[in-house]
Amino acid sequence: MSGQVDGSEAFAGKPGQASFGDRICLPFLRDAQNPDGGWGYRPAHHSAIEPTCWALLALAGSEERSELAAACRRGRDWLLGRQLPDGSWPAFPGQSKGCWVTPLACLALHELGNTSGATARGVEWLCNAWPGEGTFWQRLRARLSRSSSVVRQNSSLRGWSWTPGTSSWVEPTAYVLLMLRNHFPEALPGRAGNRQKLAEAMLYDRMCPDGGWNSGNPFVYGVAGEPLVAPTAWALLALENHRERAENQKSLSWLALAYEQIQGPGSLALAHLCLRTYGRPAAPLEAALERLYAANRFLRSVPVTAFAAMALAPRCGWLRRTAAGARQ
Amino acid sequence: MRMMDASSGQPLAPSFSRRASRVAIRRAENYRGDLSTLLTETLLEFDLSVRGKTVLLKPNFVGPDPRGVINTHPAVVAAARESFLRLGADRVLVGDGPALERDTEAVAETMRLREYFGPLEPSFVDLNVDDVRRVPLRTRASSLRELYFPETVLGADLVVSMPKLKTHHWAGVTLSLKNMFGIVPGSCYGWPKNVLHWAGITRALLDINSTVRPGFAIVDGIVGMEGNGPTQGTPKPCGVLVLGDDPVAVDATCARIMGLVPERIEHLAHASFLLGHLKPENIKQIGESVERVQTPFEVIPEFRRLRARKDGHLWNMNCL
Repeated sequence: MSGQVDGSEAFAGKPGQASFGDRICLPFLRDAQNPDGGWGYRPAHHSAIEPTCWALLALAGSEERSELAAACRRGRDWLLGRQLPDGSWPAFPGQSKGCWVTPLACLALHELGNTSGATARGVEWLCNAWPGEGTFWQRLRARLSRSSSVVRQNSSLRGWSWTPGTSSWVEPTAYVLLMLRNHFPEALPGRAGNRQKLAEAMLYDRMCPDGGWNSGNPFVYGVAGEPLVAPTAWALLALENHRERAENQKSLSWLALAYEQIQGPGSLALAHLCLRTYGRPAAPLEAALERLYAANRFLRSVPVTAFAAMALAPRCGWLRRTAAGARQ
Repeated sequence: MRMMDASSGQPLAPSFSRRASRVAIRRAENYRGDLSTLLTETLLEFDLSVRGKTVLLKPNFVGPDPRGVINTHPAVVAAARESFLRLGADRVLVGDGPALERDTEAVAETMRLREYFGPLEPSFVDLNVDDVRRVPLRTRASSLRELYFPETVLGADLVVSMPKLKTHHWAGVTLSLKNMFGIVPGSCYGWPKNVLHWAGITRALLDINSTVRPGFAIVDGIVGMEGNGPTQGTPKPCGVLVLGDDPVAVDATCARIMGLVPERIEHLAHASFLLGHLKPENIKQIGESVERVQTPFEVIPEFRRLRARKDGHLWNMNCL
């Protein structure tokens, strides 16, 4: 990839020719919807919460098309029907415990204008969901165990975990922060503000020494962890309200450099979304996605296709609000 | 205590009532040779009944690996696939669920899997995002009680664990048994699958391997990794492929090749009670001997206790 251009030009496409997003991504997502209204990770797979959320967020920007609006309504209804009594969402229907997909469900429903109270209950659950590592006993245990000298991090800084009661990690924490910033502050529980601050501090604590993030281990055995594209993009998006901080700029520079070498469409689309949100120039996306699509057809992944659609779309509502909210 | 295995129908039996395991060590100096013929000839020495069956190869694809030193090399995976097809398998799938990198396609592309394998669809399965089914665990080593596993794994007639010969900074070594962490779906448990760490790596390993038992193992030891594995260690040319019908015996043999004492590796020591053989007298060796290919691996200071004495004779508990 070469030829640096502003992100807004990258998804314009040739005049008179439908864009890759319109030709491939949106039809794929429309056709991949299951009869029950949800989406599986791949077409003809069981509906699951995460792919349904990403598909809805990708399609939400195209709701002016009647067939996509209908798909969104069915998807929203499916999602609403899968909420657990405690307000959370499980990874797959039928599972009894809520997990990391809960902020994604809240984000998607919020984007679709849901006012049923489902998102409020989801937010409430998230504000009460503490990871396991910060309790007194866990900190004592960690201090006495081998891991305390191996993994250099401040376990009193807590975000959110993948599954209830386990450790904080970068991506689930970033998802919750992004979701919370999409809500009006007055609509959030009072303790949400404190949790946001703690989670932001946790993300900065977990940043790799040379910028960027991996899943959440900046040091193991004294060796600096190597950042990965997707966690870096999510962390930067979640910390966009601190865009001028040195850590953000350092990580952004790492991402911009890594962007040229990305070989997976999901990572490429997320990196592009992130760079665009920060107003950083990035090489054209559409041709690169077309090339990757020709190789493996994105492995028919619904989330990856949704990321591509969002990165190619002229606007991405939930990210726009995130960025706008940060500047207010 | 006899329990039926969920995946293969073989009983979980204590070691004393189990027949001897077979492990083959083959020399392979690099990845450019005819690995397919080598593997096919070796597989014929085992009584593997794969005709008309679905075989799932479970390599260890940890993350992006442009230098080819972290993941099971695609040349070995492609050769194994061809070998099982030659033996009459109806379908040979390749599946893994990387623990840290969600972009599995990026992992496959950086390691040039397509060059060796051809089109990834439909034979390559991202186990992190497959359909899942809840399975009660066959043992109670951890407090997990049950896990969701990918349908592709549960539907396979034979699961072949295909790790790379590496040290591991938490488990000592990462071989056939540790490789099975990769079948636990990230969609349910995240990236990493942290619930397994909270349950205790050793205990979770035992529960997973007792429930979804790999029926065969092929270890890529052509170039392994020593030191701070599984991702930040040093490449270690070792020039071997290790195959066998008992993952515990295969891992024990690999540990001995690495100059480590398998009885001191916690999960292997525990696995030997119910899942396979650890002692050399219960392992029928095919091909090269351990002594002829032994290549001592460096380990991080926390695992120095795993190393055998330099005289190389510290192979069983009687010597400890």
